[in-house]
Amino acid sequence: MQPYVYDKENSSKIEDFQIREVLISKLRKRFETYGYKQIQTSVFEAYDVYANLSGTVNKDDMIKVIDSSGKVLVLRPDVTIPITRMEALNKQPLQEEKRYFYILDVFRQLSAQNGQKEHTQAGIEYLGKSTPEVDAEVIMLAVHLLKDLNFANFKIEIGHAGFTKELISNLSLSNGQQEQLESYIQSKNLAELEAFLADLPIKTEWKQAIKQIPMMYGRPDEVIKQVKAIPIPGPLEQELENLIKLWKVLEAYEISDNVVLNLGLINNMDYYTGIIFQGYVENTGRPVLMGGRYDQLGVQYDKHIPAIGFAAEVDVLLQAVIQQGLITKKREIRDFIIFYDKNKQKEALTTAFELRTKDYRVLTFSADEEIDLDGRYELFFTSTGNELRSGRQVRPFSNTADLVRILEEMKEGS
Amino acid sequence: METITLAMAKGRTAQSTIELLKTVNIQFQDFHEKSRKLIFYNEDHTIKLLFVKAVDVPTYVEKGAADIGIAGKDNILESKADVYEMLDLQIGKCQFSIAGKNSEQFGQQQNIVVASKYPNLTERHFAKKGQTVDIVKLNGSVELAPLIGLADYIADIVETGTTLRENGLSVIEKVEDISTRLIVNKASFATKSAEIQDFIKKIDRAMR
Repeated sequence: MQPYVYDKENSSKIEDFQIREVLISKLRKRFETYGYKQIQTSVFEAYDVYANLSGTVNKDDMIKVIDSSGKVLVLRPDVTIPITRMEALNKQPLQEEKRYFYILDVFRQLSAQNGQKEHTQAGIEYLGKSTPEVDAEVIMLAVHLLKDLNFANFKIEIGHAGFTKELISNLSLSNGQQEQLESYIQSKNLAELEAFLADLPIKTEWKQAIKQIPMMYGRPDEVIKQVKAIPIPGPLEQELENLIKLWKVLEAYEISDNVVLNLGLINNMDYYTGIIFQGYVENTGRPVLMGGRYDQLGVQYDKHIPAIGFAAEVDVLLQAVIQQGLITKKREIRDFIIFYDKNKQKEALTTAFELRTKDYRVLTFSADEEIDLDGRYELFFTSTGNELRSGRQVRPFSNTADLVRILEEMKEGS
Repeated sequence: METITLAMAKGRTAQSTIELLKTVNIQFQDFHEKSRKLIFYNEDHTIKLLFVKAVDVPTYVEKGAADIGIAGKDNILESKADVYEMLDLQIGKCQFSIAGKNSEQFGQQQNIVVASKYPNLTERHFAKKGQTVDIVKLNGSVELAPLIGLADYIADIVETGTTLRENGLSVIEKVEDISTRLIVNKASFATKSAEIQDFIKKIDRAMR
């Protein structure tokens, strides 16, 4: 898919791929500096693993294959679930927290994405601890990634998976009504939300409270003030305390400008229980990263695993990075181009091998080929002798050792 | 101040919206109805106005090519765009309805053929009701379809109903109230929060 991209460099796909590699190596390096270890999960997984889990990946979105014994498999539709499952199968209680990261393709068939069936996710999972400090560190990592990629204007929106759910839980709505209400809240559709609430037989103060959810958006300290002004159900009070603590730690990280609270945020993955968040960069409609706390997912496998994680969408990030020209492709420089006469072939190729062993980039051509390429150095192996050319300099040499000595000299000279 | 990009369709909606903006001192000097230009700026260049096809407005906004869009609810629903829908501008009011020659059997019929400019919206409506339908996507003169047997019914927006009446059709079922909405790109709302909220507040004030 090619969403809105203004391609001012007119770059070809191959060059995009080079940028993609730079991007991924930046993500990997950042994950490592926060102590995460890279892991990989299987591409093929049993369909039952996902079919039996409620509120995760939509069954219709998964890509199924059938193996020779007739068993139905799916292509990795998610990474968080297999990691949690792997951890849960180990019956020992978690002794210490675990930090994993992955850069993997996930496969889903979404009608909204023009038939694109695979996309690359780079994400982390932090297992074993549930504190505002951990949440803040994970959000800091997300901010750090976007800073590494030089985005001038980006925001992490933080919401809470339980907030809206809890507030509307006592309305006794049908499933269809609840979906409708959630979609109004999610799209900040105040006009229709108000009309919808007007017809419901509930107390005015609840209506007032729910009506404010979509606009509980902005600087965390201001939003928290807003929340304190409405009647909130008991279970939410502790969560609100945690949000305040989280905000304190984020302030300590000095990233308060990069985060906003958005309590109207609703994530369709049901496994989130605490904070949820997504990252937006300018001029890209879709979130570039998404995540949240999912302390209850392990319970589905009979193990309590407090956990938080997020995944960055590499393809969306790549488009944004290219569109805004944030990572420029490396200019391709070949260190050596070797031209040789037929009778000098052996000597030329041996030299090429020796230079490549020393990590130089080397291309070799027979002297009668017509080549229009630039290299930092050109080497000529002719019947009359060997020559090194660089710019206007021309230096004869006898063998590789001699050549290396001349290169050293030239380096010192410059 | 960052520039915000506003997408809308030329025509009556644009005219009303521009009038509305004028009352809060946002003026597009070189804009006049006959102009063929597609991009306009306001006086201090803080707002860039794009004219696009009405059905494309939600797409421009969803993809982030425009921060804000002025679009009919019909086009928003049809495109299924994931955007914030923050204001009802209370203009361009009409109804998305099912119409046909006669309504007697409509409720019980299965396998009916419905012609519409809005295949997604139509499909969702009938799926919700549990009625199987065949949808014929047309781009205009939808009223013709039941007259020549291309379809049993049509699903379209109805304002006064004159076109329907003149073609011997009548509204059988009202599906959805339609009006012009102000939509916002989710990323822009996060990254240009101050500018966008300020703009929305101005329009909101102008409407009161």
